Amino acid sequence: MIGYVESLLNGILMGSIYGLTAVGLTLIFGVMKVVNFAHGSILMVGMFAAYFFVTLTGVNPYLALPVVVPLLFVFGFAMQKFIIKPIFEAEKDVREPITVIIVTTGIWYVLDNLALLLFGAQFRVAKTSVTGKMLEIFDMYFLWPKIIGAGITLLLGLYLYWFLKYSRMGKAVRATSLDREAATLMGIKQNRIYNIVFGLGCACCGVAACVLVPFYYVYPTVGVPFDIKAFIIVVLGGLGSIPGAILGGIILGVIETLGAQFMAATWTEMLIYVFFLLVLFVKPSGLFGLKQDY
Amino acid sequence: MKLLTDQSPFHKIATLLIIAGLLALPLVVSNPSVMQIFILIIFYAYLTSCWNFVGGFAGVLPLGHSAFVGIGAYTSTTLYLTYGVSPWFGMLVGGVLAAIMGILIGLPTLKLRGAYFALATIAFGEATRVLVENVEKIGPFEIRGPKGLLINLAGNSLADFQFSSKAPYYYIILFMLLLVLLLTFVMMNSKVGYYLAAGGEEPEAAEALGIKVSKYKLIAMAISCFLTALGGTFYAQLVLYFYPKSILGLDLSYEIAFIALIGGRGTILGPILGALLLRPVGELTRIYLSDSLPGLHLIIFGLVLIIVMRYQPKGLVEPVSRWFNRLARRVDQGDNNRKQEEDCHGVADS
Repeated sequence: MIGYVESLLNGILMGSIYGLTAVGLTLIFGVMKVVNFAHGSILMVGMFAAYFFVTLTGVNPYLALPVVVPLLFVFGFAMQKFIIKPIFEAEKDVREPITVIIVTTGIWYVLDNLALLLFGAQFRVAKTSVTGKMLEIFDMYFLWPKIIGAGITLLLGLYLYWFLKYSRMGKAVRATSLDREAATLMGIKQNRIYNIVFGLGCACCGVAACVLVPFYYVYPTVGVPFDIKAFIIVVLGGLGSIPGAILGGIILGVIETLGAQFMAATWTEMLIYVFFLLVLFVKPSGLFGLKQDY
Repeated sequence: MKLLTDQSPFHKIATLLIIAGLLALPLVVSNPSVMQIFILIIFYAYLTSCWNFVGGFAGVLPLGHSAFVGIGAYTSTTLYLTYGVSPWFGMLVGGVLAAIMGILIGLPTLKLRGAYFALATIAFGEATRVLVENVEKIGPFEIRGPKGLLINLAGNSLADFQFSSKAPYYYIILFMLLLVLLLTFVMMNSKVGYYLAAGGEEPEAAEALGIKVSKYKLIAMAISCFLTALGGTFYAQLVLYFYPKSILGLDLSYEIAFIALIGGRGTILGPILGALLLRPVGELTRIYLSDSLPGLHLIIFGLVLIIVMRYQPKGLVEPVSRWFNRLARRVDQGDNNRKQEEDCHGVADS
């Protein structure tokens, strides 16, 4: 019994980190109606940055946050400004910007294989001061990096919620996501909002990267599983919904770890896909999504 | 681009020349590995043309088509290995299975918007891969999980769909490609094609006009999946060994979509242009550079994709056909002048 409670709690911890990767995706998805297929690759870029920062300087991994997060913000900002924006403009009248999906897939291929070319395919582990540290309560064991990660997810979720709800910029973002044209008429610079939203979405990946590095392998295709999980979470939670992304992440994490108690780990992967398809068939708007969005 | 029906004689002659050249190719090329590259180019053009029925005409982005390639390959091969059924027959069984699967998957998902449909098809493709990787046996059929299937050598036998030289494979896939292109052409100029185009661009308006968009999308999906599965059997018989990652992976699904988008989706020539550009790049860099510079061919893939989408969002078919038409006009000029003169005389006479 205690084993199930332990894996349930571990699922919640890991799931909140999945939620963290999905938050950035849902933000971009919600505002720009664009699926960023390069999301996992951006996470990978962040993980390599955090890995090298930590191994070269030997500092506490969470000190990489103020370095990696702004770096990825700039990265995302530039990616939107120079690659996605021109394509987006060419497809302005098309309701479903499919070309953007494909271009972000192209960016994914370039980034992942560039990493393969530069750093090789081997798995790297960052030896940090928190790696492998356990917390023991009632005979249950939890990794400290996961606990800290879940805490950071919660803080980031609250901050983003505050940012979108109350800050001036956040209001502009919401206005743009509701109605591009009307927002432009109100004097909101649509492209600037898009650049910032894309930057923020990538910055969320930066946070996730720093949280993952103390306990997760770093390798060139590390983004792919996170990418697909993030898509599933975003649809599960309802697109554009930040609480939905975090809750969706937790649901996914729980299915994964609890499922692993009853069946082989590869089968849980299958379970997640089937669960995702079921959600799509039954309620495509997700848990917190609006009906007109799908 | 209307190839054979186009009035211009230059178009007709050029098309016939290209087809004649393609038919004569195995007589000129004797090197099997060069032949293999040509076969793969045509094979990918074939798969992409099949994808085009859904991805091009129905206006959605399917990213799980490798699942149908896999259904085709696994069905015909397991039937062959277990009961000795000829792959020619197994091919059709696989096609029907894939079409049924496509309808089952399309029924709920084709109503979804672009991004959702793309994600649903990715999930379907990946679920299929994971399923096949984890199962050793389905009923009497051995599928051997991640180890894949090996087709025993039968030598040179038409009934067993195995040939000792590359030329028969080349002619089979060329014939399949021409057939699917003909079907594409017929479909594009049929009621179904017009309905699909209307439904892809403006679903609400089409529905308002009384077109059952989802019904026609389902028809397109069924045709596409059926033909894709035939391609799966061909591939299995060509390489004689395959495993889940090689024919069921996301990579193959993406590559098909990439080729279509770079060439120009929703056109007849698009898949061929895309395959002609991307496949040789993929093959050559994989053969010559994959040891020293791993991943380089995929970087080139991605870059080509970004650049083409940036400057030719409708694909390469646009500039190529513009160039071709200009050439045709110039060649036909003299011809047309003569014809016009004749017409004038005709009018004057009457």
